[in-house]
Amino acid sequence: MRSPLRRVLLAALLAGCATAAPGPSGAPSATAAATAAPASAPSSSGGIACTANGGFTFPDPAGDDNGPGTYTYPTDAVYKPGSFDITEFQVEPKGDTVEFRVSVNSRIEDPWDSPAWGGNGFSVQMVFIHIDTGHKAGAVFDGLPGTNVRFAEPGWDRAVIISPQGRIRVNSEIDQKCPQWKDRIIVPTVTRASGRTLTAVVNTSDLGGPPQASWGYQVLMQSNEGFPGKTDLLTRKVNEFEGQHRFGGGTDYDNDPHVMDIIVPPGGDPVQKQHEILSKYNKAATTDVKPADLAVLPMVYPCAK
Amino acid sequence: MADTVNFDLNGHLYTKYMYQNDNTQGCLSISNPFWVDNIQGHNGACTEFELNIKARVSDKVSAGVRLQSRWGAIWQDWWENGDLKPGVQDTSGESLGMNHAEYIKLRGAFVRLAPPIPTVNWVTIGSTDFSMWNEWTIGKARYIDRDNGDGVFVEGTALPNRMLNYTVGAMALPKLWAGPGWQTGLKDNDPLAALYGTDWAFAAKLESRPTRDLRLKLIGTLVKDWEADRNSPFLTGPAMASRGADHSVSLATRFRGINATLDGVYAPATSDWFQVSGLFAASSNYVNPDYATNLVRNGQGFSPVLFKTDCPESGCTPQDLLNGLGNPVSSNDFAGTLLFEFFDPFRSGFSAKVQLFDIGSEYNAIMGARREADVLITDGIIAGGFTRGGQLPTLNIANEFQDWDEPWYESCIGWRGATAILEYVNGPFKGTLEGTYIGYNTNTGVDAQGKPVQRDVFNQYPNFLYTNGFTDTTAYTADADYANVYDRGKDPRSVYAQYQDRHTAIAVLTAQYLIPGLKGTPTLNFKGKYINDYDGRRQDVLTDDYHGYEYLGMASLSLQPTNELKVTGGYEYSYWQESARDGSEQAGFYGSKTVRNTAHLGLTYAFGGALFNYTLEYFNKYLRRDPHAYYDMEWNVWRAKGSFEVGW
Repeated sequence: MRSPLRRVLLAALLAGCATAAPGPSGAPSATAAATAAPASAPSSSGGIACTANGGFTFPDPAGDDNGPGTYTYPTDAVYKPGSFDITEFQVEPKGDTVEFRVSVNSRIEDPWDSPAWGGNGFSVQMVFIHIDTGHKAGAVFDGLPGTNVRFAEPGWDRAVIISPQGRIRVNSEIDQKCPQWKDRIIVPTVTRASGRTLTAVVNTSDLGGPPQASWGYQVLMQSNEGFPGKTDLLTRKVNEFEGQHRFGGGTDYDNDPHVMDIIVPPGGDPVQKQHEILSKYNKAATTDVKPADLAVLPMVYPCAK
Repeated sequence: MADTVNFDLNGHLYTKYMYQNDNTQGCLSISNPFWVDNIQGHNGACTEFELNIKARVSDKVSAGVRLQSRWGAIWQDWWENGDLKPGVQDTSGESLGMNHAEYIKLRGAFVRLAPPIPTVNWVTIGSTDFSMWNEWTIGKARYIDRDNGDGVFVEGTALPNRMLNYTVGAMALPKLWAGPGWQTGLKDNDPLAALYGTDWAFAAKLESRPTRDLRLKLIGTLVKDWEADRNSPFLTGPAMASRGADHSVSLATRFRGINATLDGVYAPATSDWFQVSGLFAASSNYVNPDYATNLVRNGQGFSPVLFKTDCPESGCTPQDLLNGLGNPVSSNDFAGTLLFEFFDPFRSGFSAKVQLFDIGSEYNAIMGARREADVLITDGIIAGGFTRGGQLPTLNIANEFQDWDEPWYESCIGWRGATAILEYVNGPFKGTLEGTYIGYNTNTGVDAQGKPVQRDVFNQYPNFLYTNGFTDTTAYTADADYANVYDRGKDPRSVYAQYQDRHTAIAVLTAQYLIPGLKGTPTLNFKGKYINDYDGRRQDVLTDDYHGYEYLGMASLSLQPTNELKVTGGYEYSYWQESARDGSEQAGFYGSKTVRNTAHLGLTYAFGGALFNYTLEYFNKYLRRDPHAYYDMEWNVWRAKGSFEVGW
């Protein structure tokens, strides 16, 4: 168990790196990085279980499926309570493949009959898993289209999309909405839902190698929108007031994070941390929203030493 | 700029191509055989356009409309403009009806507002898909009707923290399907009824989450179909005050349907691997034969409602009638389901589901879900290999306006039994094994003397004419009864028979496996199914016993050679052996055997926002029947369906 003092010292060192070192182009401003929650101090406690091969199980508290604390679900009955509430994130290396599992606080259902549209057995959830595979140069700090977030140093270099849409559709959307990241975004070879867990199987080679304890992750819980906006990667918008198929509690613009739940570095009150992270965006920026106006998400390093 | 920020336009173009080696023309496998302007056919290309306009009027008011072109014209129709003139010989080439005219129709319009009324969150006026209720009461409209339903809906919060939310609604009763005879007052269909503008459905829902682990929902619905009281003085003579004719017309009930459900989900947070959900439902349906033609008696048993009387279920005897029986009464019943789910409790990849179900013989939801929903976890009887299916608690199933590759739905009224499904998942492999037993509350049984009891399918209980036999949904050719012309298996809506002593066992094995180490993510799919369906019919007659065995095997391989392209190839074999399938108690019953081989190729291509699908299928089917009564039949069918769509 690491001492609180050692944790604070490590956090200060990391914050100093973020403010002093010249980041890659596109990195969030120093102010934003300094005020974003620091990357997690390495820990094997707090419910996190790490394995020797880079895998881990990372719990997330139930009941924080409300973004910055104000978000509400769409009113249609298909959006069951808990559908967007991450309860656990798990990475399991299996040789040539890696399984990513995201569990939610509700049985995953398929009200829109996904087999009819070539889907993967579920309907409403959509998960983006951003991965830092080792502080690589050229990392990305922008969020995927429609999420309205940015990422703190060191950014991400791989993203896995867990979507109920078939691979053809997801790839087509990537080609249209963010072709510049086509080589970094991984559409799993297998995506399935069972019980309360979404599972994505990806080739280890697509990740650039097997997961390491030093890797960082961020998980964004969104909702599958089969008729997305021009600049949305199959994501569902958040408005000021909820609608039949729109989240509420945000703004009617694209300055608020369109994310219902994330994971946060361990330590402290995770719900409060999430709310703080997702509420730090420029509420006055209603038109011509710039990257600097967006909430900045930290990467989480569950098993880093 | 500010105006466009609040204005959202999106469009969608959809084109379908169909081919079959037959002599039909059109882009819809099963349409409406009653129409003079029937659009059913298997050869043609058709296009439709959809435009959605949504606007944010203010932060508390939004509105929207959906405009869509009518479906039915094929590309070859050229000048068709809805100029149908029945009975007139017209060689102009533009003589088909409005279904071929591609006119743009206002398919839906809604306004949604958040008024400053205590507890009220939202008020919606206009179109919805009725998805706020459930399959047992008022079901979600099928996709093609998603904006046809109109009403006024109020959603609110009575108690905070999800302790109590409510939704109430008043919906215009659809005149074309939500009542006896599938209409609520069309004099051309039912001379006894001509009024539908007064007909409404009302519904209320209460939802509560009293604890973190428990969710409860209570729904009650009322469907009322009124007609003008034929005895109203204003309608029966001169408008004399002395007669009581006061320029008003009172209304009489033609049909009244009440459905209610209470369902709950218990998902303990401390044991996230376990969940139990249960539903209890009740229904009461009343038909007034003074205003609704009895289609059980006069429509060969094709009726979405019972015409129940106070006579026994076996029907009115002459003595019963002399005793003053034979009066219309409500048909009432209950239903319940209980589902236990275990989500990988031992972290071994094994999950399990067990569902118990008991649906009363007279449970019915006239406005329940008609398709595109499924209340039981079983694969059921109707689902095949390439084709899927579902079970719904209504006689008002709608397997129509659909193509040969779409799912079919069967009525589960009267089903009583259990399903167990075991699932195993390990990386690229997923397998399931299902076992289901179905007994039937609709079995007729025997009386105290051991004599078979019969059900009155001539006056009270609709049997939809075809009560036994597996149904080939993909070779279905609808005639005027919406019943298969050539292969008279059981009508999926048929749950009643004159004599029934039935039970069914179903076993299903599925597997999906992503073959590792190969390019193109090759995925193998397999399904095997076995059905043992027995119906002793009259328990004092052995020669009328129906026994059906279905054996089905399906295998397919899908490949994604590029990010944009996916191809699938598969084969399905099915064998049906059925004794005493066709015939009658009077004339005798005859057996049949069916062998069907189906080859299936599919392709999906997505590029730059456009999506292209194409399916090619060949099947050979041989139906061998008893030569004493029937001739054999063979099918050699090639068919294809393609679609191309873009949205913006």
